[in-house]
Amino acid sequence: MASDSSSASSSSDEEEESAGQKPNVDVNINSIDNSLDAIENQLSSIALNTPIDERTLPSTDYHQEPVSEIDDGSSRESASEMRRNSIGESSSSRGSGLWRNNLGVEVEVEPEADGELSSPSSSGYAGERGSSSSPTSACGTDVVRELRDNGSSIGDDGVVPLDPSQTQWIRGKQHADEDDGSISWRKRKKHFFVLSHSGKPIYSRYGDEHKLAGFSATLQAIISFVENGGDRVKLVRAGNHQVVFLVKGPIYLVCISCTEEPYESLRGQLELLYGQMILILTRSIDKCFEKNSKFDMTPLLGGTDAVFSSLIHSFSWNPATFLHAYTCLPLAYTTRQTASAILQDVADTGVLFAILMCKNKVISLVGLQKASLHPDDMLLLANFVITSESFSPICLPRYNSMAFLYAYVHYLDVDTIQIEAVLAKSNVLNEVERSLSEGGMRIEDLPVDPSANSGSLFHLTHRKTPTNGTVTGVGGPAGLWHFIYRSIYLDQYVSSEFASPISHPHQQKRLYRAYQRLYASMHDKGVGPHKTQFRRDENYVLLCWVTQDFELYAAFDPLADKGVAIRICNRVCQWVKDVENEIFLLGATPFSW
Amino acid sequence: MASRRRMLLKVIILGDSGVGKTSLMNQYVNRKFSNQYKATIGADFLTKEIQFEDRLFTLQIWDTAGQERFQSLGVAFYRGADCCVLVHDVNVMKSFESLSNWREEFLIQASPSDPENFPFVVLGNKIDVDGGNSRVVSEKKAKAWCASKGNIPYFETSAKEGFNVEAAFECIAKNALKNEPEEEMYIPDTIDVARERQQKSSGCEC
Repeated sequence: MASDSSSASSSSDEEEESAGQKPNVDVNINSIDNSLDAIENQLSSIALNTPIDERTLPSTDYHQEPVSEIDDGSSRESASEMRRNSIGESSSSRGSGLWRNNLGVEVEVEPEADGELSSPSSSGYAGERGSSSSPTSACGTDVVRELRDNGSSIGDDGVVPLDPSQTQWIRGKQHADEDDGSISWRKRKKHFFVLSHSGKPIYSRYGDEHKLAGFSATLQAIISFVENGGDRVKLVRAGNHQVVFLVKGPIYLVCISCTEEPYESLRGQLELLYGQMILILTRSIDKCFEKNSKFDMTPLLGGTDAVFSSLIHSFSWNPATFLHAYTCLPLAYTTRQTASAILQDVADTGVLFAILMCKNKVISLVGLQKASLHPDDMLLLANFVITSESFSPICLPRYNSMAFLYAYVHYLDVDTIQIEAVLAKSNVLNEVERSLSEGGMRIEDLPVDPSANSGSLFHLTHRKTPTNGTVTGVGGPAGLWHFIYRSIYLDQYVSSEFASPISHPHQQKRLYRAYQRLYASMHDKGVGPHKTQFRRDENYVLLCWVTQDFELYAAFDPLADKGVAIRICNRVCQWVKDVENEIFLLGATPFSW
Repeated sequence: MASRRRMLLKVIILGDSGVGKTSLMNQYVNRKFSNQYKATIGADFLTKEIQFEDRLFTLQIWDTAGQERFQSLGVAFYRGADCCVLVHDVNVMKSFESLSNWREEFLIQASPSDPENFPFVVLGNKIDVDGGNSRVVSEKKAKAWCASKGNIPYFETSAKEGFNVEAAFECIAKNALKNEPEEEMYIPDTIDVARERQQKSSGCEC
């Protein structure tokens, strides 16, 4: 259970909506009127026939629901091996066969993915495509350097200590033996599906793609049926489940979720999922579908399950997935400069850009004058390289979605050679390790008196005192618990360390989701954009402040005073300003996109 | 050359209403038959895994409604089909006569790259009815039609008795395998960074 991040979020706050039988369909307004009723009728019955119904709610404890309730009497063919999905007004097949009792499924990694993905140094999947890419044509070489500090596993980052078993997702798909007939599959809180425009499955977060072929066909049928009426299906609500659709040419992406995330967030996640696919294959894949609508792209994606599961996992801890900004590892200004100078030597050899990262955090980035690296591309790239150290063709969707670049990915250790030696000699690696162990911005360190500021995160004498020794449950001054500051000009954000009131992974995930909602509401195109938002509920006081230059998201103790909270937010902004050359990459190439 | 990977085949079953499309599918996938007639509304989807010549196939079977009013399901339903199964009732002449229409409709909607050689299979169903006495479409007649349409394989089946159903679907897999397109290399362009740089620097330097 702990291995599954999305089922780990507390289910107590997810209440069943009893009046959710009839789905609301968000369709374009310019629809052909007389077809709308028909569509709605069709869709409501689709909801009855597909597994998106109230019986799959996590709050439902009756796994052993009487079969008679599922069966409406007319269909008696309770075939055990049957996987049936219906579209249309069918009253007959609510699929009694769907209730195969598959509780207690074991974690299983897909066999073909196992060998090559357990080792981060393998470039296995890239090798599969090796025939398609002649190195002689590699005129452009990207250098991606990933710093790996000794002994700590990927994802075991001080700032995002979310899931103790975070390393599990790196192994690739779990629960591969499930299908839409499994109760465990139906109880999963967040599904992602990718399918082709002919209804053939390409990727599924849980379960075996082939076994889900019927389900996949149902999804295609829904999308196509609405499309046939000159319309587009964006969202279907069924109870507390949301079904979000994204059509990208011949590739259809669907998310089915009961996590109560806003539609915009889920849609953004589907966009990133698509981007990840493009990063691996480029959008030239569309041509294959044009030539042959039967085209099956799954072989081309062979061995990349881990990339997708890690991306989906990041949707529940990495603010970059909704902020569209990247974050830097806090470092003394001179240290970052040293790293940049070393990288510059690499960049001068004619590569597009060179980037030095520590997990998902940038240490330095050096590139051509006009090189454009969108924060989303950086996110997808970083997600891709944590699974393989290699020389590999990659595509940066926002840079040029049609063509490949070549990325050289190398993990650095203190005791290896060449650039590492230079970095080590210049003390960069030590500084990186120090930053990792000490953390970045701690709200406890927020200067109460603005004038008494040292202007640095790294000269504070009490930095090494453990924070848990103090009064727990208090956090920073005036009940400040956490903040995220996003610089609009730099396309970077900085996130404070998690204070003791939100030290538990569940609390952090809940806060992450709260920020996500806050972000969506502040950027709502319909009623926004907004400048400030103050929101108090039983968990926190949330304060959001958006200006031309920055966006600040802050969480306080639920009893925090509004006036004081606002004053503290001003302090935070001042603090960020004071230490900006340590937390941001300044003077980097102005990106153009 | 032949890859050992699993193959997913999209199979579409077409034919007049009441010829036994759903029954054939149920017999094949679940080995069940029901005398009760329930019209398929819209479409139904079933999957079945089979092994054939050492390869694993997943048949994604699209069972469509035979009634006219559901014909609007359109292009999307037929898109990317690997095989099309045309079903008629040997006891109903009209259902046999409709086969040409179904075939043409499919070719128009699906617009396969090589329509001449697209794999169809024709099934003459319900041969069990009345001990064959009510039969109006002879095997000879059906075979002649199949021959005229580019040698479509023909099977006489009984969904009720499960006769020939397995063989018919095996043929579907065989046909799809024969029709498998040659694996083309996937070679997207590569960006020439050096040239990009030249182009960029020749432009406005701001």
